[in-house]
Amino acid sequence: MITKRFGALIAVLGLALSACGTSGTATPTAATPTSTPGSGATATPAPSTSSAGTPVQGGTLIVGLDGDMAYADPSLVSDGNSLYVAAQVVQGLVGLKPGTIADVVPVLAASMPTVSADGKTYTFTLRTGVTFQDGTPFNADAVVYNYQRWQGFDPKSDLGTNDYYYPAVFGGFGTASNIVSITAPDEQTVVFQLKNPQSNFLLSQTLQVFGLQSPTALKTMDADTTPLANNKYAHGQATENMVGTGPFMFKEWVPGDHITLVKNPNYWDTANAAHLDQITFNVALGDSTAKLQALQSGSIDFAETIAATDVAAAQSSGLTIIDRGDSCNLGYLGMNQSLGAKPTIYADKNVRLGIASALNTTSYIKAFYGPNDKVPTSWMPPATIGFKSETLPTYSLQTAESDLGAANLTTAQKAIVLYYPSNVVRPYMPDPKDLAQAIASDLTSAGFTVTLKTEDWGTAYVNDATTGKLPLFLFGWTCDWAGADDFIYTGFFGYQNGQPNAQFGYKNDQMNQDMLNALAAPTQDQANQDWGQAQDLLAQDMPTVPLVNSTPPGAYTSKVHGFVGAGNLVEYFNTVWLSQ
Amino acid sequence: MPRYIVRRIVGAIPILFGLSIALFLFLHLLPGDPATAILGQHATPQLIAQVRANLGLDQPLYVQYLAYLGRLLHGDLGASFVDSRTVVSEFATKFPATVELTMGALIFAIGLGIPLGRLAGRHPNGWLDGLLTVVSLFGISVPIFVLGYSLVFVFGVELHWLPAVGQADPRLGVPTVTHFAIIDAILTGRPVAVVDAVAHLILPAIALGTIPFAIITRITRAAVIDVANEDYVRTARAKGLTEQRVDSRHIMRNAWLPVMTIIGLEVGGLLGGAVITETVFAWNGVGSWVVSAVENHDYIVVQSLVLIFAVIFLVVNLIVDIGYAFLNPRIRYT
Repeated sequence: MITKRFGALIAVLGLALSACGTSGTATPTAATPTSTPGSGATATPAPSTSSAGTPVQGGTLIVGLDGDMAYADPSLVSDGNSLYVAAQVVQGLVGLKPGTIADVVPVLAASMPTVSADGKTYTFTLRTGVTFQDGTPFNADAVVYNYQRWQGFDPKSDLGTNDYYYPAVFGGFGTASNIVSITAPDEQTVVFQLKNPQSNFLLSQTLQVFGLQSPTALKTMDADTTPLANNKYAHGQATENMVGTGPFMFKEWVPGDHITLVKNPNYWDTANAAHLDQITFNVALGDSTAKLQALQSGSIDFAETIAATDVAAAQSSGLTIIDRGDSCNLGYLGMNQSLGAKPTIYADKNVRLGIASALNTTSYIKAFYGPNDKVPTSWMPPATIGFKSETLPTYSLQTAESDLGAANLTTAQKAIVLYYPSNVVRPYMPDPKDLAQAIASDLTSAGFTVTLKTEDWGTAYVNDATTGKLPLFLFGWTCDWAGADDFIYTGFFGYQNGQPNAQFGYKNDQMNQDMLNALAAPTQDQANQDWGQAQDLLAQDMPTVPLVNSTPPGAYTSKVHGFVGAGNLVEYFNTVWLSQ
Repeated sequence: MPRYIVRRIVGAIPILFGLSIALFLFLHLLPGDPATAILGQHATPQLIAQVRANLGLDQPLYVQYLAYLGRLLHGDLGASFVDSRTVVSEFATKFPATVELTMGALIFAIGLGIPLGRLAGRHPNGWLDGLLTVVSLFGISVPIFVLGYSLVFVFGVELHWLPAVGQADPRLGVPTVTHFAIIDAILTGRPVAVVDAVAHLILPAIALGTIPFAIITRITRAAVIDVANEDYVRTARAKGLTEQRVDSRHIMRNAWLPVMTIIGLEVGGLLGGAVITETVFAWNGVGSWVVSAVENHDYIVVQSLVLIFAVIFLVVNLIVDIGYAFLNPRIRYT
């Protein structure tokens, strides 16, 4: 229960002493046309808007957020806290059906776009009667302004370095972007012309960072001021901040303490307007024990996440654990095939297959994870677009010994080091030390001599793992969007500058080409075929061992009703109401 | 006296200068990198290089230090690597919470510690003295976070007598004006808001103030026992002064000196303890800010805050030294 922050506390003390849809949409709605990319629109039942009785109007919901926002301009953020808040305020052309991680639905678009046969032209028809929270109209010019703004960020400026997603999705800013042009032939129509087909285009546009803001507010509030130290809009200190079209409006941000949103009284989708008057996000609850106690005492009504180790305590004190449905993450055992130029034992496929068979992953799920968490059957969760279920090695000591025997490892080579992170809790890794010990025990049974080593997550581990300094290590990936590309290309095995990802040193040119083909496929069906081929190759090579697909646990008090959880934490509070 | 104060201030400059160099080197020798901390798992070599260049981290260390020193001499404490907020503006919003917490803890520690220590000293080896010895030992031994969580569990979660976290209940809608929760509540003119803000202060103040309470109690007791056995106290009694007068004029006045010293030192300890207390009670103070800054390798914030803490510590000690002169006419600073 006593959590990760105390490592940092000790360091600090040392220093101190030395000194002395919606509708249709992104928020839940009644009945909304939905579609997966590349398919036609189909009607889908809407989620329930209440969990008990008739919704009560009004009240303030206190939400314990995992940490503070980075910036109040969603264009400049990539952290989960900022995105969680922004989801209530800004909306994009498309969004995710509430409670799902990959069902793309139109939000500010009136319907899913028409896509040209070559996959390079997307034409959106916009909703009518929508206004931004500052009263200015939402129209095609506003869409064009927002996209051109992002495309025009100087990659060397604070704006460019903080906008992670635009260049990640479109390949770069300016002329490097895959977007050739965005035009507005009339007030309700926007046309995107792409250089190359891009199969993740629609799914990636569900990200809150592509939420559209009022051009008037962006201009009058000088939202593009650099350096960011002088940018009041980015810091939520301008007269108007984060001006979107969503059911809640930005009111106040006291950094490190709270963010306050209030109901948008002029929300365009009246059937899905917010029940609450106000949401206050408490961002000071960095410590998991403090967060649980705040929930139990009623100081907060809702915790975005709680520690997996606190779930039982939360349930026994009458709190409701959030059902988050489909997972959108993957925890894995990384096996780096080369440290610098030097190959490791993990370059031998037999070793990787042997290790995969040596791990009793089902027992790990039972011991360390929640009832809805599962052993993966690929390198992404099943609900991901492009997922293909593979037959991966299952626990068998006999198979492990056989594979490892074929590798002919020396005694010295069997002395291995397994790294795990300290001072961190992740949904895919709620208890890294115990998980590492369980894995070490299984590997010992398979004939290895395992030494466990740990590094601090923030100060060393992430850097050392991602730059290829760790030979065998626990790690994971939480989706940006639930597409195969986000996992196996961006997160794991896509080549960077023509080289394999240093984290794994895994080189398979055919697999990389399959992924590039998938990304550039004109239709989703074609992309899915390519993603499937790439996953087949991964299953043959086992470059890492997938350990778990989990969902982050969260909780709320008995006062809270109408909440719809999602495994990717894209969640909306317009349906939430408080009983008296 | 003015010359003494000037000399102390001038003498503090090399201390602060040396501290700034030591801090700068110490932070840059820590493993890890701010750019990777900012970018997390999104880090790519190109992005890391660009962020490092934007932050000036690609420059040689001495260039970085001189740039930092140059800004410092112009009164610019810099801006956070992580969120670009200036240290000065953030400090202005967070320091009030730390002051409120520290003051609450000091009031608890002094308000209870001195009277109880005095009582124990005037009746040594009695039952109260024994009880206070046990309480003091407990207070010094229990880590702040254990005490903090325990207090929240008992009084917040189980009994619901006092709020568990934060400085005020957001449901009351008190606008943030001064960032002092109690003052902001007073400004609303609503008693319920004031009561709420005070209630939010009680548990963290006790958690933070328990160690200084224990120390002050013990020091006061010892000082009172020491002074009570001095010849001049016996003489005062022989002159026929009332016990009350002997106590106030001769014992307590002299016993104040070591107690004052300890209170001055404890202010530094309270600032250190606030780091933990603010985390446990989710207070948006300077302490929890430093923790985040260390976690994120936010050098500028950590450097600037430690320097500010050092200045505060030096000023408090100067005030304590000046206080000696008022308490003891025999002390004269030149």
